[in-house]
Amino acid sequence: MKQIDELRQEAIEKISNVDNLSELNELRVSFLGKKGPVQGLMKLMKNLPKEEKPEFGQKVNVLKSELSALIDQKKIELEEKETLEKIESEKIDITLPGRKPNVGNLHPLNLITQELEDLFIGLGYQVIEGSDIVDDLYCFERANIPKDHPARDMQDSLYIDENQLLRTHTTAIQMVVLEQCAPKPIKVVCPGKVYRRDDDDATHSHQFMQMEGLVVGENITLSDLKGTLLFLARKMFGQDKEIRFRPSYFPFTEPSVEVDVSCHICNGKGCPTCKGTGWIEILGAGQVHPNVLKMAGYDPEKASGFAFGVGIERVAMLKYGIDDIRHFYTNDKRFSEEFKRFE
Amino acid sequence: MKISRKWLSQYMDIRDLTIEQLQEKITAAGFEVEAVEKQSQGTNLVIGYVKECKDHPDSDHLHCTKVDIGNEVLDIVCGAPNVKAGQKVIVAKPGAQLPGGIIKSGMIRGQASQGMICALFELGVDPKLLTEEQLSGIEILDEQAPVGNEDPLGYLGLDDEILDIGLTPNRSDCLAAFSMGLEAGAILNRKVTLPVFDGASDIGGPTNLKINSTTSRCPYFLGKVIGNITIKESPKWMKELLMASGIHSINNVVDISNLVMLETGQPMHFYDKDAIVNQEITVADGFNEDYTALDGVTYALKPEDCVITNQGKPIGIAGIMGGDDSKILDTTKGLIIECAHFDHVSIRNTARRLSLATEASIRYQKGIEPLAAKKALDRAVQLLIEYADAKEIEETVEFGTNPYQDKIITCTLKDINNVLGTSFTRDQVFDVFNRLHFKPEYEEETFIVTIPSYRTDVEGKADLAEEVIRILGFDSLPTTLPLMEMTEGKLDEKQKMIRMIRSYFTSQGLQDCITYTLISTEKKDNAILSDGDAIELSIPMSEERRWIRTSILPSLLDVVSYNHARGNKDCSVFEYSDVSNKNGSFSHLAFVLSGLLQENRWTGYQLPCDYYTAKGLVEGLLDQMGIASSRIYFKENKMDVKHFHPYRSACIYIGKECVGVIGQIHPDYAKVTGIKNAIMAELSCDALLNIKKSKIKYTPISKYPSVSRDLAFVTDRNMPVEKVMAVMKKQGRINKELIIRNIEVFDVYQGEHVKDSEKSVALSILFQSDTHTLKEDEINTVFNNIIQAIEKECKAVLRS
Repeated sequence: MKQIDELRQEAIEKISNVDNLSELNELRVSFLGKKGPVQGLMKLMKNLPKEEKPEFGQKVNVLKSELSALIDQKKIELEEKETLEKIESEKIDITLPGRKPNVGNLHPLNLITQELEDLFIGLGYQVIEGSDIVDDLYCFERANIPKDHPARDMQDSLYIDENQLLRTHTTAIQMVVLEQCAPKPIKVVCPGKVYRRDDDDATHSHQFMQMEGLVVGENITLSDLKGTLLFLARKMFGQDKEIRFRPSYFPFTEPSVEVDVSCHICNGKGCPTCKGTGWIEILGAGQVHPNVLKMAGYDPEKASGFAFGVGIERVAMLKYGIDDIRHFYTNDKRFSEEFKRFE
Repeated sequence: MKISRKWLSQYMDIRDLTIEQLQEKITAAGFEVEAVEKQSQGTNLVIGYVKECKDHPDSDHLHCTKVDIGNEVLDIVCGAPNVKAGQKVIVAKPGAQLPGGIIKSGMIRGQASQGMICALFELGVDPKLLTEEQLSGIEILDEQAPVGNEDPLGYLGLDDEILDIGLTPNRSDCLAAFSMGLEAGAILNRKVTLPVFDGASDIGGPTNLKINSTTSRCPYFLGKVIGNITIKESPKWMKELLMASGIHSINNVVDISNLVMLETGQPMHFYDKDAIVNQEITVADGFNEDYTALDGVTYALKPEDCVITNQGKPIGIAGIMGGDDSKILDTTKGLIIECAHFDHVSIRNTARRLSLATEASIRYQKGIEPLAAKKALDRAVQLLIEYADAKEIEETVEFGTNPYQDKIITCTLKDINNVLGTSFTRDQVFDVFNRLHFKPEYEEETFIVTIPSYRTDVEGKADLAEEVIRILGFDSLPTTLPLMEMTEGKLDEKQKMIRMIRSYFTSQGLQDCITYTLISTEKKDNAILSDGDAIELSIPMSEERRWIRTSILPSLLDVVSYNHARGNKDCSVFEYSDVSNKNGSFSHLAFVLSGLLQENRWTGYQLPCDYYTAKGLVEGLLDQMGIASSRIYFKENKMDVKHFHPYRSACIYIGKECVGVIGQIHPDYAKVTGIKNAIMAELSCDALLNIKKSKIKYTPISKYPSVSRDLAFVTDRNMPVEKVMAVMKKQGRINKELIIRNIEVFDVYQGEHVKDSEKSVALSILFQSDTHTLKEDEINTVFNNIIQAIEKECKAVLRS
């Protein structure tokens, strides 16, 4: 009986001191194995007097299950500890840079064009494009630009032959649309590249982008133009902006207006960008000239319409504060990457 | 055009308006005041009398003066060479603000100086209007100048304020001060009084003057002889008006011709009567000779130039500049006046070719009002009689007829409001027409207006509507949206595809670019995938911009080269653009990859820019477009081995149609572009757009498990793996069902343990059926068939 208690003491002490699973396993074998001391005690039983045998046997069995439970419990403890240690050893530096994908972005001019297209698509407009090379007829004649106008001189625009040239304005697309649609209503925007005989410098480019809008129908008024352009100005420069019209002149519209938007830099207080006026000129517009409607096949007594033309570079330069138009065409990666953000 | 407060004040009372108010109101009505200039500037000025003038003891050029300014005498050190005792001068007292800074009292080389004696250019007067003498010294006033007067600039008539107005092309009539005056009166709602001179030139005795035109470029010509005039100084008011317009006063006669031009917009030329042989003037063209004009410069005349001649010899370039030998001199006794219409295009072409922009040529080019010639002649005769003692006036000689007729337009109130979207009243509109001198009448609900001759821009109802809103102000315009039938706002298929392409490439790390359409001959010759001859501009801007491009890549390679030179080593770019050639316009897509497309250095992660990355990009794009991979072929590049590495490039085919070229840049072409290495491609988007796309159709996912088998073999180095895979697929059927679902290449090896002429390829084949779980022997049968087929058809030797 004493031996049982001594063995229990020894086993409990050893089990509690074990700190890894393999040693624990060895302990299990050494104590509870066939050649272990517990089994050894069982062997002693045969030498005991008969009446002591049951009690002794029971005690040994209790010891056996006690030790077995202790070992099992220790095993769970050690396994938990080991898992913890393993997880801890897997610690990483979460501050090291991630594998951030290198993502490109739209060219700022395409970005502005898409924004404008989407605005007008939302208002029920179709997007119509055309060829860079156009007939003099659509670029000038149909736009009510007289034969002796300087722009129609072979010296002044980029002509290919007597009849064809690189379009000087996206109005050329409109004139084609007008002819194709007459006498039906029209609601389109026409983005595209245009070309002028200008030497490239900070504010001039022989190639640039425009977008024109054209609406023709019954009773389309100058007030409708103002409402439409208010949408455009607010989309581009902020919902709190206002616009104003100033009289101007374009051969293809009458009345013609220059459109100013309240300055987004100083909010109309006056600053260098708006030259102290609080207003920035953003585009030209007007009511389609009756001659233009007539030439395209509309009856100006029945149909009326408005048109507007916006310079994409100008909008981009104003909106982002770009100082040199040539940046758009050198495509320096560092420049382009500045327009990455989703806005 | 420049018009000053003094000019406008002749015609109307604007004393209540500041120059800023004038600027704002005129601008709002469509006459943009681009700048307001003060003719001169300076505060704290006074007229002084130089009582004493001695040389400065410590200087070889300074003077010490005592100047009486009325209530005190100032000591002033003055450096001007022309300062003398007894002169009346302009003194800037201490504290005066001049364009050059603030005047302070102090010591100049030991002598006290309590101000400055001023030259006019120091007071901001345009040096162009000053004489040599005025530019080299202080201004000396006349003897009557009142000492102590605190407005010396006003005393000199230099206190004008000038509005610099940018005229729109339709309102060049306002180059004439009379028209601008009437316009300003309408805008400001003021009563305008112009000088009265109508019919002043109708007087005159018999004349021997013979005028003629042998060219259609001069359809109308008025001439008049003034037999006797007196050349003298112009009156002060005239000089001041000319100064305010930036014109230097010369003498009364020349000044009158200039003043009349400023007033009426009609350039006129005065000839010395004695210099015109036989009093004969003919306008002609067809000259091809050198001619020396008034400015002493010799110009080469061309047959298309319109020339004024006397006895067959040029005496002036019509509408641009007169000649030296017939100009007005101080000794001139009599005049011949030329007042003509010239074709504005002809004047424009000649003036431009000769680089001669004169006050006259600018006006002719912009167009002169139809009745200006007679008005100008009337006004000139009136002024010559009054200010040049004109006598022996002969009758006017007229060549041609002036076809001008009054223009009458009718419109209703509804017409006006319908264009504008406004609800203006009859009285408001009537008032606008009145202010504009349109002589409105109102009968049977209709306005009847007579357009003044100078308003050549007003042609119809739309113009009248513009006048109404311009004068009543755009602030009164409502803000509405068009009311019309609902329309579908949308992009067409091509536009959608372009957006998809841009979004695909940017998401893959490529930068969207826009480059110029016009390119050099060198770039034109390096076109890739061009399918026609390039178009040349008839008159190119420069050698760099001579051709319309047929291909994007040469421009895009420039972008990469530019970026490499600026340290942007990883530069991958694309551009979608229209290109053109003699067969028409086409849509192309091009991209260039260089450096790494993706990288994370510390983890060693890289996506290199090589042929396979580029090919993958194209495959991914075509996938997105719905073009089945089974229709896409990358074939040996036989099209362009000048720009592409012949063994690392391919032509992209969809079915039988070649849609593009892709590959590594040829080392020789790389040198030309200044790029070390790059992968590039150009594709025809029209072809891609027009190809029939597969529609999305759902196929149920197989319920049965798939089995994968690996296979490694050695074959000829030049054996395309694609061919091996095709051979395999042919063997992949059980009961007509293709059970090979995918073949993946997982290793390609050339090098040690493999012969130089061979390569080792390892593939993983995925088997699956839609009808049952594949049995081991079914797979084995197919797998063995595959091995036999590639051994036979591809000379593949299985690796153990």
